[in-house]
Parts: sequence; structure tokens; C-alpha cells
Amino acid sequence: MIWEVFRQEKKGGYHTHCGNVHAPDREMALMFAQIQHARRKPTHSLWVVPKEEIGEVDHEEATFGGTTDKAYRWAMTFNTDIEFAQEIADSQREQEQADRARAEAEGDD
Amino acid sequence: MDLDTVKQRAGPREFSPKDDMPEEYRKAATRMIQFHANSEIMGAYLEKPFIRQAPSLDRKLAFSAKVQDEIGHGQLLYRAAENLGVKTREEMLDELADGRGKFLNCFHYPMESWEEVPMIGFFVDGAAMRRQATLKNTSWEPYAHAMDKICFEEGFHIKHGESILAELATGSKAQQERLQAAFDEWWPRILQFFGPTNDSSTHHDFASSVGLKTMTNDELRQQFLNAYLPKAERYGLEIPDTPRIVHHEDEGRYEVVEEDLDWDEFWTVAKNEYEPGIGQIDAREAAQEAVEWVRESMETPAGGPAPAAAD
Repeated sequence: MIWEVFRQEKKGGYHTHCGNVHAPDREMALMFAQIQHARRKPTHSLWVVPKEEIGEVDHEEATFGGTTDKAYRWAMTFNTDIEFAQEIADSQREQEQADRARAEAEGDD
Repeated sequence: MDLDTVKQRAGPREFSPKDDMPEEYRKAATRMIQFHANSEIMGAYLEKPFIRQAPSLDRKLAFSAKVQDEIGHGQLLYRAAENLGVKTREEMLDELADGRGKFLNCFHYPMESWEEVPMIGFFVDGAAMRRQATLKNTSWEPYAHAMDKICFEEGFHIKHGESILAELATGSKAQQERLQAAFDEWWPRILQFFGPTNDSSTHHDFASSVGLKTMTNDELRQQFLNAYLPKAERYGLEIPDTPRIVHHEDEGRYEVVEEDLDWDEFWTVAKNEYEPGIGQIDAREAAQEAVEWVRESMETPAGGPAPAAAD
């Protein structure tokens, strides 16, 4: 039975997928996950999930992100002053990063 | 975990659903997150009619995206409150519909003109985001995770709000006058966004001692004033004479004269007893009933087990 493994690097962070392990039950899956995915990398917590419990749809079945141009949804569209409030500047920076990541992902296809 | 341990350990993203939290913590966190979630939903309902009134296609698209975001934030927050195990999402939605659920004072007031839109979209959202940015460090991890996404999107709302504000402030004479009138009306409510001062805030001390809140109402209001008051002036808005604002130039800060704010009205609003606000709650109840069938169909999928928590 295959178990997908999610690792949380730091306390309070997100659990992100890092691979899978082959194990007969949850207890062994947790043990193998520790050995295979958390031995060297900094880890705060691990999740294991039976693979068959994960629903999936991939890019062959669905068009992700829609086909319409949604540039109007992004903070960069509005040319206003962000420097007066740190939290708005932070949000804009995050959105710019996400935009770059999206452009890179599209470039890969 | 006992309360003393909670207070000792309290820190950013310290506690998550796997921790055995004492009831006082779970209740305080539920109260706070439910209030926040309700406010997102009620804000969206207040703004929804203005999607139709948006003066251009660009504004319409951006504004409807904003309203969608706010509803999504509400759902995300109900999820973060739900896993505290005090109330289910259904209970929280029912409380909102029947007038027991509390929400932000600003969203009790009716909105009539497009010139009022930036009052919410820039000033109120700006105040909200100032507070939300500090909540990325709240001790309840699911709440902090919700803030990551909410702040990511909220920056867009505020920039859109500022763009509307800039457009109206440089528009026709009539637009400028209506904008000033909207500002005169909304400014005192906006000042009350952060609630009463520390000495009369009932819940602050506990929430702060267990790391749910990381800043006081006073500190947040101070930061907000320092950032947003000069903004209002830069767009040519005149700050009304009352409530009086004192500028301490030597300390680089502004101060609101507390007695000029109408706290009686604030508390009437807070108890859901303010007349126009009751109309908003009734409208929400009607909407809630109208889409009851959608929630029902999600709860009992044909032939499948009921999901633990549908997001």
C-alpha cells in the first residue's frame, strides 16, 4: 500500500508533499516516512495519507486557471502608492512572485 | 494542556488542531474567528449591489472579483474556527442569519452611492488588513494560515479601492463633493473600526495572553491613523472637525479625542440592535435560506459518505 508523505519543515508552516512510502499500515508508514523523508531534512511534523484517499485531476483532463485573462485580479494592475503601508507592499510582492511562478510554469509546457 | 502552559507557550502559530487546548482558549479563538468570518460575509453582502453600479467594465470585473474573494475569506475562516471544536459551520451560519452572530460595526451601515465604495474598499479594508497582517502571527495555526491567503488577496482590494478613490478625487466637481460627503459620514465609523480603547476592551487581555492577538486596539488604530490620515489629505479630502484629531507633531502621531466618538451608537451596533443593520442581517438570512438546497446537497452526496468538512 502506498502512502503519500507531507512534511512540515517549521512549526506553524504548511505540510508540503515530499514523496511517498510503501507500508502495510499507518504506523509503519509513519516510521518509514521518518526514515526516508525526515532523516536529513529539517522536519517539525509529518503526515501520511493513503494514496487512494487522494483525489486527483491533471492538466490533461482540466484547464487550470481558466482561459480568460484575469489580470484585473492582481494588485499590480492598479498603479497606486503601496509604500505607505508595509502590509500592502508585502501583498504586492507576494503577488508579483506568484505571477513570475505562473509565467515560468506556463513556459515549461 | 492547561491554561498556564498555554500562556507560557503562546507564540506565533504555536497551537494546531492536534493540540489538546483548554476550553477557554477554544472559546476565545472561536469568538474571534467567527466575528472575523461574519464580517467578511456581511462586508461582501454590503458591497455586492455595487458590482452593478460599477462605472466601467474594468471596475465591474475587479469589484466582482473582490466580492467573491470576501465570501471565500469567510468560508476559509469558518473552517479555521470549526476545527476548534466549539461550533460547527452550520451553527455559525445560523447564528449570523438569526441575528446572534456579531460582526464589524462598519458593515451595519447601509451604502447608497458609488462614492461610498472606497470608504470600505480603501479605508475599512486598509484598517482590516493592518489588523490581519498582525494575525499572521496568531497562536492558532489554522487562523494564521488563513491570513496568509487573505492578506495575499486583500492587497489587491485595497489597491483597487485606492484607485477608485484617486479617480473620484480627481473627477468632476460633483463627484468630489459626493466623495467628501461620503467621507464625512464614514470617517467616525472608520475610526471606531478597531473597537474601544484598551481600558474598555473586555476580551483583549485574555486573547493577548494566549497569543491569539499580538497587538492592542490602540496600537493598531495608531498605526492606521498614521498611515491613512495623510493619505486622505493627499487625495484632497477634508478631515471633519468632529471627531477632533490632535496631531502631535513632535511624536509624529495623531490622536482621536475619545469623547467625540459615539460609543453609545457603537455598542448599539455591536449588539445587532442598530436599525439599518438589522435590515442587512435579514437580507443575509433570506440569502442563506435561498441557497439552503445547495448546502443540503453537499452534505448528503448520493451514495457516498458525508464529508467531514466541506470547504
